[in-house]
Amino acid sequence: MSEQMLAEQQTLIPVYALMDQLPETEGPRPESPLCHADLASLAEQGSREGGVRLQEQALLGHLVLRGSLQNESFVQGFAQVMGMALPGALESAAAGDASVRWISPDEWLLIVPGKQAFSLEKQLREVMAGHFSIANVSGGQTVLVLAGQDAVNVLKKSTGYDLRDRNFPVGKVVTTTFAKTQAVIRRTGQQEWELVVRRSFADYVWLWLQDASAEYGLTVTA
Amino acid sequence: MTQTNRLPSGGRLDRNRPVTFKYNGTTYSGFEGDTLASALLANGVDVVARSFKYSRPRGIVAAGADEPNAVLQLGATEATQVPNVRATQQELFDGLVAASTNGWPSTDNDLMSYIGKVGGRMMPPGFYYKTFMYPQSLWDTYEKFIRKAAGIGRSPTENDPDIYDHMNHHADVVVVGGGPAGLSAALAAGRAGAQVILADEQAEFGGMLLHSNELINDAPATEWVAAVVAELQTMDNVMLLPRSTVNGYHDHNFVTIHERRTDHLADLAPRGQVRQRMHRIRAGWVVLATGAIERPLVYANNDVPGCMLASAVSTYIKRYAVVPGNELVLMTTNDQGYTAAFDWQDAGRKVVAIVDTRAEPTGACVAQAQQRGLKVIKGSAVIEVKGSKRVSGVLVASIDAAGDRVTGNVQQLACDTVASAGGWSPAVHLACHTGSRPEWREDIQAFVPGKTVQRQLTAGAVHGSYTLRACLEEGIQQGMLAATNAGFGEQIAGQIPVPTVTETAAGPVMTLFHVPHTKPTSRAPKQFVDYQTDVTAAGIEVATREGYESIEHVKRYTAMGFGTDQGKLGNINGMAIAAKSLNKTIPETGTTIFRPNYTPITFGAIAGRHCKELYDPKRYTAMHRWHLAQGAKFEDVGQWKRPWYFPKPGESMQDSLNRECQAVRTSAGILDASTLGKIDIQGRDAREFLGRVYSNAWAKLAVGKCRYGLMCGEDGMVFDDGVTACLAENHFIMTTTTGGAAGVLEWLELYHQTEWPELEVYFNTVTDQWATMTISGPNSRKLLAELTDDIDLSGDSFKFMDWKEGTVAGVPARVFRISFTGELSFEVNVQANYGMYVWERVFEVGAKYNLTPYGTETMHILRAEKGFIIAGQDTDGSVTPIDLGMSWCVANNKPFSYIGKRGMAREDCLKENRKQLVGLKTRDPEVVIPEGAHAVENPNQAAPVPMLGHVTSSYYSACLGHSIAMGFIRGGHDRMGETVYYPQPDGSVIEAEICSPIFLDPKGERQNV
Repeated sequence: MSEQMLAEQQTLIPVYALMDQLPETEGPRPESPLCHADLASLAEQGSREGGVRLQEQALLGHLVLRGSLQNESFVQGFAQVMGMALPGALESAAAGDASVRWISPDEWLLIVPGKQAFSLEKQLREVMAGHFSIANVSGGQTVLVLAGQDAVNVLKKSTGYDLRDRNFPVGKVVTTTFAKTQAVIRRTGQQEWELVVRRSFADYVWLWLQDASAEYGLTVTA
Repeated sequence: MTQTNRLPSGGRLDRNRPVTFKYNGTTYSGFEGDTLASALLANGVDVVARSFKYSRPRGIVAAGADEPNAVLQLGATEATQVPNVRATQQELFDGLVAASTNGWPSTDNDLMSYIGKVGGRMMPPGFYYKTFMYPQSLWDTYEKFIRKAAGIGRSPTENDPDIYDHMNHHADVVVVGGGPAGLSAALAAGRAGAQVILADEQAEFGGMLLHSNELINDAPATEWVAAVVAELQTMDNVMLLPRSTVNGYHDHNFVTIHERRTDHLADLAPRGQVRQRMHRIRAGWVVLATGAIERPLVYANNDVPGCMLASAVSTYIKRYAVVPGNELVLMTTNDQGYTAAFDWQDAGRKVVAIVDTRAEPTGACVAQAQQRGLKVIKGSAVIEVKGSKRVSGVLVASIDAAGDRVTGNVQQLACDTVASAGGWSPAVHLACHTGSRPEWREDIQAFVPGKTVQRQLTAGAVHGSYTLRACLEEGIQQGMLAATNAGFGEQIAGQIPVPTVTETAAGPVMTLFHVPHTKPTSRAPKQFVDYQTDVTAAGIEVATREGYESIEHVKRYTAMGFGTDQGKLGNINGMAIAAKSLNKTIPETGTTIFRPNYTPITFGAIAGRHCKELYDPKRYTAMHRWHLAQGAKFEDVGQWKRPWYFPKPGESMQDSLNRECQAVRTSAGILDASTLGKIDIQGRDAREFLGRVYSNAWAKLAVGKCRYGLMCGEDGMVFDDGVTACLAENHFIMTTTTGGAAGVLEWLELYHQTEWPELEVYFNTVTDQWATMTISGPNSRKLLAELTDDIDLSGDSFKFMDWKEGTVAGVPARVFRISFTGELSFEVNVQANYGMYVWERVFEVGAKYNLTPYGTETMHILRAEKGFIIAGQDTDGSVTPIDLGMSWCVANNKPFSYIGKRGMAREDCLKENRKQLVGLKTRDPEVVIPEGAHAVENPNQAAPVPMLGHVTSSYYSACLGHSIAMGFIRGGHDRMGETVYYPQPDGSVIEAEICSPIFLDPKGERQNV
């Protein structure tokens, strides 16, 4: 760590604003971006045999990491705290409950259990130095998992990206257009895909997915 | 009704499945496997349309996409109306309802024909230009007339209940056309392991083989087709798309395919099924195996029903077991044409004569005709047809070897059908779509696809290879090549044998397009070139006489090829006639090129699912459900749905606004401000970066403080504004306008990545991360105090333009003391998942303060009372901070400079008398000037009256008891107290006094308490 950086850290003025955004008690009730769709009830009522299965993985911790691969403390710091390396272009990695997606040449999206977001951001900031940024966007987006034999057809209706096995193997990630919005799409299995969508667009995506899945049958899972 | 023209056996029909359908109100019957056209012909329906210009009766000419006349309106109900359906491509289903689109009151008895006969003289070629160009104000009238008369069809007036969608694909090889060449290509590429999509517009694969007499591997060709299709179906790497027209071939090998999934089943798609799907394919290689379209010959009265293409006659007989007449005269320039006469004879009907335009035809077919006892009239042509609603006879005469003139006596033959075979035109349409110009091949007297920059191959008839053997051979070759090019196929090279085909010796072909008449073209009965637009040979000659030499001009002058069939039948004949008339060769004259789409496509398929609720995303805040429950009216701001105002029962909009405004000014109101753009900015150079993108100074903004900033373009014009807070030394959060959020982030990234990459700073959008609620009004402090125990809200500790972190209702929050209303205000930001929770807690404690939710309209009024601008409403890209009276927000002494500084120093920005933002007080306090109204100095001055500027914001202020407005006035800052006038469309004039835009609390005492 350079002297300047040490100096920065020692000064009384905070360099970055770190904030635990979750309440201390269980009292305040969080609502995911698709709370209004009441997917839990749909999961109980709906058919079990759809060609497409949809699940919201709500209220996870989302951290956007920006930094250069030339910044050793950024790269090593991540590996040290997360127990996995930052993935290369269009790739993802996972370790335990945590998974990380390459977004752009200096950007990664780390998704962890909701309550770990703050402590992990803190730990990462402690080990990282130089030029980097971490932004907590846990409230700003949600994760949808699309699975089943026809999941790929729903995706083909939604994005122009080449989803064929040879171009989109399990583990690959792209940020691309999705209908008239965008999504971070990660292939998590032969017939399973994960979409990260923004909160304000979540209802649109939900409407779109219901519509695109209709001919195959949509099963919502809890 | 009996199917008088139906053969007792044969055809690819399911005779166990009879179906009934309605055409022009009459019920007919047919079979499954019929097209609407074959069923109409089976039932002896001769007239299916009235022509565009002359209102002449027209019958079915072709059997495929080239059909110009039988373009019908489909649909049993208003909601299921589909225009522009070619009867030749519409499969028959039980309950189908079709109607002809022109001919009023009916196709058979057309009142228009009388007008048409007059109109024909009144509408010479060029009417498109001459008649309908002037006066332009009458175009609407002309258009109605043209549409009705022309039979372009109509769209439904009710919502289409069917589902149409889009699907994207990526494929190594896309094969267009499922005839012998296309099937072979798909088979070769498929066996090589490439991912293949094979699309064909027909219900069945096989193309011409479905009605061919030829043998493949010593068996009927259809057996080979079945075997190939069966093999392709077993391949996981091959996708078969029947009933799918490749309608567009675009740059970068992007192919659009229009699949009709249920159009053959019923009027309405079965529940839950998609009616039509637009496949959007990114292809590695494209193999065009689109075949060729037979050319009719151009002779007098060649549009009388009963005049058909020779190949269409064969198709109807062999594939649909329909003989479209009783007595046939066939005119041909080539050997292949004879097949129609043989098929006709085999069907048990009378062949009156084969009229061969060649003086000495030598092919095997001639001998065969003689063996069959058919009369062959050599060196002659059908020069004219007799009859009006059906052919009743023909005039046949001998012609010279060049086909230029009639040389002998004219004889009349009685018949009811004339088939003409003028040779073949390769279907070059798709190749043209990407800009490739077709090239003329002298040896086959036809245009073939020209040079292309696409990854495109051609096989079979489109390539000018007309024999079956050549089609099969090229298909295999090109399919293999496409696969190899795409990285497959090395392993199977040469392993697919070409099936054996018996070749028959064919004689030379005569080049003939326009059959001569005993009279000159201009005097002879009409010789139609383009049936759909009623273009005649004489019309083309007139065009060339009038000086139109470019074929593109001839096309536009005559309207040749302007129909929905894009001149599939007529264009080549028309070009040849133009060439001859201009005394040029065909390649010298050139050809027009085709555009997407190959055949008309429904708007449903184009729109896909991007309609109704899914037309555009609607963005919602975390508190949206609450707003809905409160009966809020919403306003679209970008894609966001923002509460506009919250009406109570019985309130007018103005009542609601008055109530909401008063609540904020007297006690407390709350606004959902979550939609404002929020950008998290981190890095050592964040502060420097802010100083460069905002016009004001940022160097000294301390942690815990907020500052308003103006963002300008390079030209010095304001494009966005907002408050940015210093969260920590290297950490800021910027807010932008709701609509500008994405643009501002792009702007920051653009400057960072292209101009100042050396600055260490990162930007992240956190718009969706924070739910933002603005509590505003004199009681806002007391109210908030009830919800927090760890934020000192006192005025001494928490000053105006400070921010603090703490908890609100037990949820961690950042609270900003900023104000867009001029009142004491606290903007509470919590992680959006907790937005609804906190919002509801605020209302629980807010009741005693009469906490009133307010929407964007009240926000607009409150800020206008304070003279605060809204970027995008009070600015329009032509306004500098100085023009806005905001020079306090410009710091010209920054060490680095900032975006817009040089722009603002341009001469034009410094000149006197620029339009400047001022307040406007109407003389009559109740009158609200309409936004957009223009100010004048003297309302009585004669026009043109110099305009001084326009009103940008205008409201009635309940708090002030009079209307308020902001607007631009030339040199307005120096004209305080002067009067300007706003003339209204109704003749009245609104008088207003120029004043400061700050109408309320100019010293800012209310927000600083």
